[in-house]
Amino acid sequence: MKVLSKLQGYGLATIFCGIALGVAWPIDAPSSCFLLAVTVSSLFGGLGPGLLSVCLSALAFDYFFLWRTFPPAHEPATFLRFAVFLVATLLITGLMEIKRRVEESRARDQEALRQAQADLAHVNRVTTMGELTASLAHEVNQPIAAAVTDANTCMRWLTRDHPDVEEAREAASRVIKDATRAAEIISRIRLLFKKGAPQQELVDVNEVIQEMVVLLRNEASRYSISVRTELVADLPQVMGDRVQLQQVLMNLMNNGIDAMKEVAATRELALKSQRAGNGELMVSVSDTGVGLPPQQADQIFNAFFTTKVDGTGMGLRISRSIVESHGGRLWAANNSPRGASFHLTLPTKVEAHE
Amino acid sequence: MATQGKTKLVAIVDDDDSMRSALQGLLEWAELPAQSFASAEEFLKSGQQHQIACLIADIRMPGMSGLELQAQLNAERCRIPIIFITAHGDEKMRMQALRAGAVEFMAKPFNDEALLESVRAALES
Repeated sequence: MKVLSKLQGYGLATIFCGIALGVAWPIDAPSSCFLLAVTVSSLFGGLGPGLLSVCLSALAFDYFFLWRTFPPAHEPATFLRFAVFLVATLLITGLMEIKRRVEESRARDQEALRQAQADLAHVNRVTTMGELTASLAHEVNQPIAAAVTDANTCMRWLTRDHPDVEEAREAASRVIKDATRAAEIISRIRLLFKKGAPQQELVDVNEVIQEMVVLLRNEASRYSISVRTELVADLPQVMGDRVQLQQVLMNLMNNGIDAMKEVAATRELALKSQRAGNGELMVSVSDTGVGLPPQQADQIFNAFFTTKVDGTGMGLRISRSIVESHGGRLWAANNSPRGASFHLTLPTKVEAHE
Repeated sequence: MATQGKTKLVAIVDDDDSMRSALQGLLEWAELPAQSFASAEEFLKSGQQHQIACLIADIRMPGMSGLELQAQLNAERCRIPIIFITAHGDEKMRMQALRAGAVEFMAKPFNDEALLESVRAALES
């Protein structure tokens, strides 16, 4: 493929120089025409075709427009004219090559940065999930324990002197529901551990909130924190990566739980979704914890800023990056009388109704 | 205290929907009337503490925990036999619950026969 495109480049360089000669002759503007041919050859073909066009242009310029001989004769002015032409064409070819290499290098750097950001986000997800292991295990254990009880109850109904099939059926239905719930939780956990390129799909943010409430419910219970949701119905969907949006919610909810662990008063984590105008939605995660550090409402989003003894200081930085890459904003403010709220906006995909 | 001829109502307090349904189903098989509550606060608000003959409660719940509920009932001199079921069964918590008067402390998933025996024993006491 590479050789073919190089061949194409050389072929095009030859054609452009031929066209330039054809146009330059009647209008007697060889410098402009050949310079244009060299520029186009370098731009589309690269260094090799560019240098070929320089050679062909120099030859044609010399033979048809300077002395009809090669090498050039002794007249200094003519020689100077040729020299300037040659320098100009070489400069153009060189500059085009530099421009191309800079663009390729920039594209490689951007790709490397994207990859590094994705890796960091993955590490953040894995680290957070690791911290939540005990709670996640409990969350899976609950439906499994219920399923065991329901299965035993089903057997009891069937092994009675007069089996009650209807009651047994109901118990068996509960087993199916419990086991399905356990499987769904494990599936969600697996997705969060997955490493991969961001996926673009229509996402129901209310669903994402509810999924994360389920995953973190036990962690909240551990610290006697009640979780309240106020989700507006028919919230428009957003185009984005579901796992990344789950990660943002997980980070914000986890931070809210951490802020309330040592608080003696009522502990409540509230999640709210609403339409925000301008085709955006807004999600708020509020806690009744220790609140934001004074005068540092925006600094908390800086990399490595943390108030936790064992914190990495990357959770909010990564969350903001994710939200901004989705075209949204993430900011924080203190609540009254206490606690903090984190608000994020995201552009929605409103479906056109005919 | 014997309660012959009186309905022996069992209360279930657990924030997990599935667990409440499973326990209610089991007690229904055993022909033991049961009522479930999604939180300790809901149970206390119902005012049924003095009609309950046995309480099956989870430990870790949002808001008031199972141990805090036990303390509240003790403070109200409401001596309901409590059976704790929990996924977080560490020894320290177990001793705390038993010292405060719990009749049983079981880890999830629990043995349903053992639970029924404990409930029947609590109802007979």
